[in-house]
Amino acid sequence: MVHVAPSSHLPRLTSKDEFLAFADQATQRWDELWAGDKVVVSVGVGSSSIAKGALDVLARCRQELGNSAVVREVSGNGAFWMEPWIEVKHPGAPPVVYGPLSTNDVPGVLTGARQDLAVGVRGDTAHNGIPPLNEHPFFKGQHQLLLRNSGVIEPDSIEDAIARGAYRGYFKVLFEMSQEEAIAEVTTAQVRGRGGGGFPAGVKWESGRKARATPKFVACNSHEGEPNVYKDRHLHESDPHRILEGILIACIACGAERGYNYIGGEYPLGIRRFRKAVADAERLGLIGKNILGSGKNVAFRVRTGGGAYICGEASAMMYSVMGVRGQPRTKPPRSVEEGLWKRPTVANNTETLANVPDIIVNGGEWYAKLGTENSKGTKLMTNQGPMNRMGVVEVEMGMTLNSLFNDIFGGMREGYTFKGVQTGGVSAGPLTKDHLDIPVDFDSLGDVGGMLGSGGWVIFDESVCVVDFARYLTAFNRYESCSKCVPCRLGNPALVEILDRIRFGRGTLDDLALIKRTSKHVIELSLCGLGQVAPVPLLGMIEHYEEEFRRHIVDHVCPTGTCPISATEPAPALAAD
Amino acid sequence: MAHAEQAHVTLPVPAPFTGRQEIDLDVVRELVSHIHYSDFEEAQELILAALQEVNEHFGWVSPEAARIVAEHLGTTENRVYGLLTFYADFRTEPRGHHHILVCHGMSCYVQGSQRLVQDLSDTFGIADGDTTPDGELSVQVVNGCLGVCDRSPVVKIDDSFHGPVTSEQLNDLLQRAIAGRQAFTAEEGTDGSRRAK
Repeated sequence: MVHVAPSSHLPRLTSKDEFLAFADQATQRWDELWAGDKVVVSVGVGSSSIAKGALDVLARCRQELGNSAVVREVSGNGAFWMEPWIEVKHPGAPPVVYGPLSTNDVPGVLTGARQDLAVGVRGDTAHNGIPPLNEHPFFKGQHQLLLRNSGVIEPDSIEDAIARGAYRGYFKVLFEMSQEEAIAEVTTAQVRGRGGGGFPAGVKWESGRKARATPKFVACNSHEGEPNVYKDRHLHESDPHRILEGILIACIACGAERGYNYIGGEYPLGIRRFRKAVADAERLGLIGKNILGSGKNVAFRVRTGGGAYICGEASAMMYSVMGVRGQPRTKPPRSVEEGLWKRPTVANNTETLANVPDIIVNGGEWYAKLGTENSKGTKLMTNQGPMNRMGVVEVEMGMTLNSLFNDIFGGMREGYTFKGVQTGGVSAGPLTKDHLDIPVDFDSLGDVGGMLGSGGWVIFDESVCVVDFARYLTAFNRYESCSKCVPCRLGNPALVEILDRIRFGRGTLDDLALIKRTSKHVIELSLCGLGQVAPVPLLGMIEHYEEEFRRHIVDHVCPTGTCPISATEPAPALAAD
Repeated sequence: MAHAEQAHVTLPVPAPFTGRQEIDLDVVRELVSHIHYSDFEEAQELILAALQEVNEHFGWVSPEAARIVAEHLGTTENRVYGLLTFYADFRTEPRGHHHILVCHGMSCYVQGSQRLVQDLSDTFGIADGDTTPDGELSVQVVNGCLGVCDRSPVVKIDDSFHGPVTSEQLNDLLQRAIAGRQAFTAEEGTDGSRRAK
């Protein structure tokens, strides 16, 4: 998988004009495809839809249609609830999306007999009584910038991407802007780091540009190992060129000679599509020496992780890129002073960098109009749990949790009652029913013990025991601790042990105080971000659901019947792990 | 949901015995020979990539294979082994004929993935990372997420996802997978079919 071949028909572009001509050609081809007299069928293929049989659907479409139609392999569009889906465009009619369907539904959908499976028209007006997709509650509340191309372009085709506007920002930075101007746009946009920290990207870039040591690097952190977040995976699968363009812009703006993208090993499809994007861009001459005759050089490397959550931490990520165990180090020096190979390295999250192309093209002021006072722009959100609609969505900052959960995700599934939502992956506390009118942005959630983090929401219902859930979250951190520093290595197992005591009915009220004391040690003494927040979910659970913990301890009852305490037979001596 | 009902109908396709448990060192040499580097730094960056190639091909990395990777990239076996034991994706023991991934993401957890792990251990005697003595099954608990959250709890047997599954259904799927492979090896090559009867 290290080598992915580029498309062989791509020319090598050596000047500004050649690029513009190529872009015009691509746009023309794109328009002809949609205005042509052939049927165009697109199948949404992403990791989540493959698991539901999208590849079989694709094969069936090819078998049914042969050469009579154009069959395209696009990515998923974020709406997991309608997968596998296909989009059929007959000449003279707008494209209509159908789903969820099985392979046997394919012939019916292609002939138009199965209108009952239609979800919506991709376009602005209704067609044959089918409403536009954008009117569907899942899409209506969204504001799609990063997801604009997902489910629309073929991720393996650089021409599709260019036809839809890719590499225009890069072009601008290469020929029309100075480094300072490019960074000024990002600063004006006030785009904050999307990986969880919320650090302003423009400030980081400026210190990267000013760093005197050379060579410099830009590293894109695409390692999301959190058990409930799949936004970066979706971006890689749906629009790899947007990420690549963002990294290349950062390289030019900061004067870096090489860009890196560190992708978690969990999503092979995303890695393959991104490698293809890099290979195509290299062949086209967008990466390499003297890019499009501008005299500027950028090299690019893709590196993959091996399933260690800690490698999402910036310094651990860099160690992992350098081929050692991913264990964080103390800061300072920060990575912009001493990062990869002890050189200045600007490290940004994938989503942050994916925002950059639009900011450069449309200007920082345009971007700063989106979102709230201190959190600009849009944010990708993912959800998990018993909700009606699952998927990746992109909403403007400042939307309330209520409208996110109830309008976009469609509320709780029948038979489930909302109990709470775990925020910020495994690094922040839960929120309860009372908090649902809070706007989603970097700061508001922090006030009530939650966190925007990377935008993953785990909704849990009344059948979930919070003690058990808190144990899961703590056990996750115990497992993922890199074992470098003592508080995290010993503190997390100790917390799990206390929780097990409670789950098995041997807890005492002192244990709650002990949890708080131990957590304080772990939080204050740990070296990196993982340890510093590891006990926070547990503390949040105790804060919001103390009554339930007390029921376990005092009454020896697990109200939901999940914990071993409620088993009729005597509990085994050790916790099942 | 329509898919939830269909999920259990498909039989997993039992993989024929490929002999991949034994690592052919010539194949490892062939795999790493495609990995080129221009300087010492780049060679170090490629250690993980080389190990991933081997791990993906054979399902695990043996000490001998690790030595070849180390020699090719000009580093020590020690260093390579340090990486193998740190990163969760690598296995240092052979897989079974059927490899089961049990998703342990939050969504799967709250819908009972812990029970699946427990039952695998009760029925087949295998915990996370183990292989049954007859080499039929191996199991890995994915501490992250398989990304098929709307079908939780989800398991991946070889190349196919199944979910939502109960313990009984998982047990049934595995029994059929084992029976299917044994039937296949018994009439090896007669009809070329990989599907269980």
